[in-house]
Amino acid sequence: MSVTLATAGPAVPHRTSQSISRRIFAKAASTPGFRIGLAVFVVLALAAALYPELSGIDPTKMNVKARLLPPLLVGSNWSWAHPLGTDQIGRDMLVRSLVGLRYSFLIGIASVAVMLAIGCALGTIAGYFGGRIDAVIMRLTDAQLSIPMIILAIAVLGVSRPTIPAIILVLGVSNWPVYARIMRSIVMTERQREYVRAAKIGGATDLRIIVTLLLPLLLPPVLFTSVLDVARMMIFESTLGFLGLGVQPPTPTFGNIIADGRKYLINAWWIATMPGMFLGLTLTSINLMGASLERARNAIHGGS
Amino acid sequence: MTRPLLDLTDLTVTAGSGDGAKVILDRVSLRLAPREIVGVVGASGAGKTVLSRAVVNWLEPPLTRRSGEVKFEGRDIYAMGEAEMRTLRQRMSYVGANPMGSLDPTLPVGAQIVEKMRAVVPGTSRRDAEKRVIELLEAVRIPSARNRFHDYPSQFSGGMMQRALIVDALVTNPVLLVADNVTQPLDVTVAAQVIRLMKELAATFDTAILFVSSSLPVVREACSRTLVMEHGRIVEEQATEALIANPIYPYTRELVGQTPKIWNEAEVPPRPEGTREVVLSLRDASQSYKVKRRTGLGGHDLVRAVRNVTFDVHRGDSFAIVGESGCGKSTLMRLLSRLELPSAGQVLCDDQDIATLGGKALLKFRGKLQLVLQDPFGSLPPRTAIGRMLEEPLRTHGWRDRAKIRERVVRVMTEVGLPPELYEELPLGLSAGQRQRVNVARALVLEPEILIMDETLSSLDQAEQFKLLDLFQRLQREYDLTYIFISHDLAMVRKVCNRVAVMYLGEVFELAENERLFFDPGHPYTMALLSAMPTLEQRRYQPEDYLLEGEPPSPLAIPDGCSFKSRCPQAMDKCGHVNPSLTVRGAQDFAACHLVTPPVIADEVTNNFVAAAQPGA
Repeated sequence: MSVTLATAGPAVPHRTSQSISRRIFAKAASTPGFRIGLAVFVVLALAAALYPELSGIDPTKMNVKARLLPPLLVGSNWSWAHPLGTDQIGRDMLVRSLVGLRYSFLIGIASVAVMLAIGCALGTIAGYFGGRIDAVIMRLTDAQLSIPMIILAIAVLGVSRPTIPAIILVLGVSNWPVYARIMRSIVMTERQREYVRAAKIGGATDLRIIVTLLLPLLLPPVLFTSVLDVARMMIFESTLGFLGLGVQPPTPTFGNIIADGRKYLINAWWIATMPGMFLGLTLTSINLMGASLERARNAIHGGS
Repeated sequence: MTRPLLDLTDLTVTAGSGDGAKVILDRVSLRLAPREIVGVVGASGAGKTVLSRAVVNWLEPPLTRRSGEVKFEGRDIYAMGEAEMRTLRQRMSYVGANPMGSLDPTLPVGAQIVEKMRAVVPGTSRRDAEKRVIELLEAVRIPSARNRFHDYPSQFSGGMMQRALIVDALVTNPVLLVADNVTQPLDVTVAAQVIRLMKELAATFDTAILFVSSSLPVVREACSRTLVMEHGRIVEEQATEALIANPIYPYTRELVGQTPKIWNEAEVPPRPEGTREVVLSLRDASQSYKVKRRTGLGGHDLVRAVRNVTFDVHRGDSFAIVGESGCGKSTLMRLLSRLELPSAGQVLCDDQDIATLGGKALLKFRGKLQLVLQDPFGSLPPRTAIGRMLEEPLRTHGWRDRAKIRERVVRVMTEVGLPPELYEELPLGLSAGQRQRVNVARALVLEPEILIMDETLSSLDQAEQFKLLDLFQRLQREYDLTYIFISHDLAMVRKVCNRVAVMYLGEVFELAENERLFFDPGHPYTMALLSAMPTLEQRRYQPEDYLLEGEPPSPLAIPDGCSFKSRCPQAMDKCGHVNPSLTVRGAQDFAACHLVTPPVIADEVTNNFVAAAQPGA
C-alpha cells in the first residue's frame, strides 16, 4: 500500500506549474479505483517475483504423499504448507500459479507489445502516406486477417518447438491487423488537420510529425484499449497451453495447469480454478488502473 | 396595432440553475410584427445565439429559462407540451451559421429536407414533399434543382448549402424565421445574394425574420429595425438607418464607429517608402490537380486551381490576395509556403526557386516564411500544452538548450499578448482570439521575415480583429515584417494592406495599390466585390448595377475566353474567345479586362512592368 499512498500525495496540484501528463497521473491516482488496482497489482507482482524463491518450494517437485490436498479451510486435510492446495502429483498450487502468472504475464505483455509495434507502425505509415503504400499495406492486412489464429499457431508451433519467444511471436503476429486498421483510420483523418500543416510549415519532416505530433496524440487511446488485449492474450496463451501448443510441461503456465486439472474437476476443483482466479485478479487490477487513467485523461483533456 | 407575431417579455436565461448561475440573457423584451425583418447585433458572447435559440424553444442544458415569457401568436411557448410544440415547429424555423455541420453528410440534401417536412407536418405524402422541396430549391435559385435534390451535402458549395438550409427552414411555410448569423461563413457576393433572397422570400411567403448577426453592415442590408445587444441585454432599439445616423447608447456608438469604412476613411495604410527589394515573387505559377472523373469509365479531370499568376512582394509590403472561396487563394497560399510545388512556373524567394530547395536550405526558407492558419480550433493540436506547441518549431530548427527555448517562447508569448501562465495549459479554454494569438506566436518564434495570413482574422469578431490588426502593425514596425494577407474581407484589406491582388478562378484579375483599387477599380469583378461589401457608407458602386448572379463556373470546366464572362454585366463578344491578360493601368496597377486600355504614354518603366507582369503573353 505504501506505493499508492506515495503517489496519492500531490493529488491536488497547483495547476499552472505541472505538465499535462503529471496532472493526468495525479488525477488518476486520486481515484479509489486506481489505488485498489495498483495495490492488487503490486501485491501480485511482488508475490510472483519473490514468493517462489523465498518459500523455497520447487514448482515442479512431486510429493505423492501430499497429493490432491485442498486449499485452506476446505475439507479436512488442508495444511498451512500449501495454502492453495496441491495437484494430482502433490505440487504446490500457489507456487505453480505464481510461476504460471510470470509466464502468462510475460507472454501477454510481450505479445501485445509485438502487435502494437507491428500494427501501429504499419497503420500509421499506411494512413499518413496513403496512395500505393496504403494499398499494399492494407492488402497485407487483409491477407493476415484471413488466416485464423489457431491455424497459424498450430502450423508454426506444431512445426517448430513451442518456446516462449515463438508463442509471443505467433500471438503478436496473428493479432496486429486490428491495430493497423485503427491507426490507419485515425491517422488518415488527423494528418489533414491544420496543425499538421502548421508543423510542416515550421519545417518538420514527415518522420518528426509522426513521432512527435501524431503518435503522442493518437497512441494513448489505443494503448488503453490494448490493456484489454493483454487479458485476451493471456487467455489465448491458456488456450494454446490447453491444446498442448503452449509452454511445455513441466514449466507451469495457466494454460497447462488448467489442462492438467480438468481431469480432476470433480474431486479436486481447485487445480483448474486457481489459475483462473489469478488471471481474474490480474486483469481486474490492470483494467481498474487503465480505466481510471483513461477517465483522468479524458477529464484533463476535456478541460477540467 | 396588429397583434405581434412574437412577443418576448423580460426573458432571463441563465447557464445552470441557482442564484450564482451566469446570466446569459437579462430581461430581454422584443416584439416582432408579421412580415417584419428585425435585426439583432452584438459582439460574440453578447447572447445573440442564446436569444435566437430561446425564441424557438431550443435551450439545451445547462441553459435554463429563469423568468419571462416568449409569446408566439399570443401563446407562451414555454408553457406548451412537447406535442403541441412540435406542431408549432411548422410555423417557426431556424437557420444556423454552420451550414456544413447542419446536414447529415451521408444522406442526399433533398431527402433530408423531405424528411424534416414529413416529421413536422405529419400526413404529407413523400411525393408532395419532394415537389415542394424542388420548388423551393428553385426559388432560392439553386441551378438545376431537380438534379441537385439528389446530391450529397459534400457536393454543395457553402453558399448553396446555406440556401438549402433556408429551404429547409422555409419548407413548412413558417411565419417566423430565425436566422442566426447566416451570412457569416459566406463570401461577400454570395452573402449579398442570400440577404437579397431572404428579403424577397419574406415578401413572397409572408415570413417574419429575426435576423441575428455580429455585423452591423450586414444587418443594415437586411433589416428595417435593429436591436443592439450587449452582455445579454438589449441596450438600444431604433429603425436601422436612424440607429446608424445617431446611435445613442455608448456601445452602439462604438459599434458604428468601429465599423471599418472603405471610402470615407482618411487613414490609409502606410506605404513603405522608396523602392525596396523583392522578397517573394511568383513567375507564371500554375497549379492543377487531377481528380477522378465521377461519371463514365474512370479517367481524370484537371482542376486548374491557379493559372499563370505573376506578382512581386516587396519587403515591408502588406500584400493582400482577395477573392471569393474557390478562387485559388488557398492553393496560392500552399504554393507560396511550399506545401505544394507548382505544376508550372516558379516561386522565387531571394531569387531562388523554392521548388529546388532541400535539406538545410529548405529549413532556412521555412524559418524565413511562416504561415498563420485560418481555423483557430483545428490549427492547434488539441492535446499539447501551449508552451510545448510553441517550442516545437524551435526544436525542429535545431534548438537544443531548454532554458533558451523556454526564454524565447515566453518572450514571444508576451509579445503577442498571451500570459506566460498559459505555458503548461492545454488550448481548451482559450477563446478564438487567444487561439489565433497562439497561432501567431507559433509563426513568430522562428523570427520570420514574411508572414502569410491565411484568413487569420475571418473567424474573429470585430473587436478582436482590431486588436490583432494593431498587434500585426506593431510587429511589422518592430521587425520589418512582410505580410501577405489572404482574405475575403475587403474592409480589412482596405485598412491594412498597401497592395492588393484580386483573384477569380485561379487568375489574378486586378493588381493595384490600395487607393486605386478601391476608388478606381479597373475590373468589373472588383466593382462587383465592392458593391457586395456590407458597409455603413454610401456606396461608390451600386449593387443594382454590379451585383453578380449565380456562382463562379466550376474550375473543372473553365470556359474559353474570359473566365468571368458568364457573370459579367459588361460582357461583350470579344470576351467569349479571347482571355484578357493583365493590362497596365498605371505605374503600379494592372487589370485583366478588355475594357481596360493602357495609357498612351508608354515610357520605359511601364514597359518593364508590362514585361514583368505578362511574361507568357
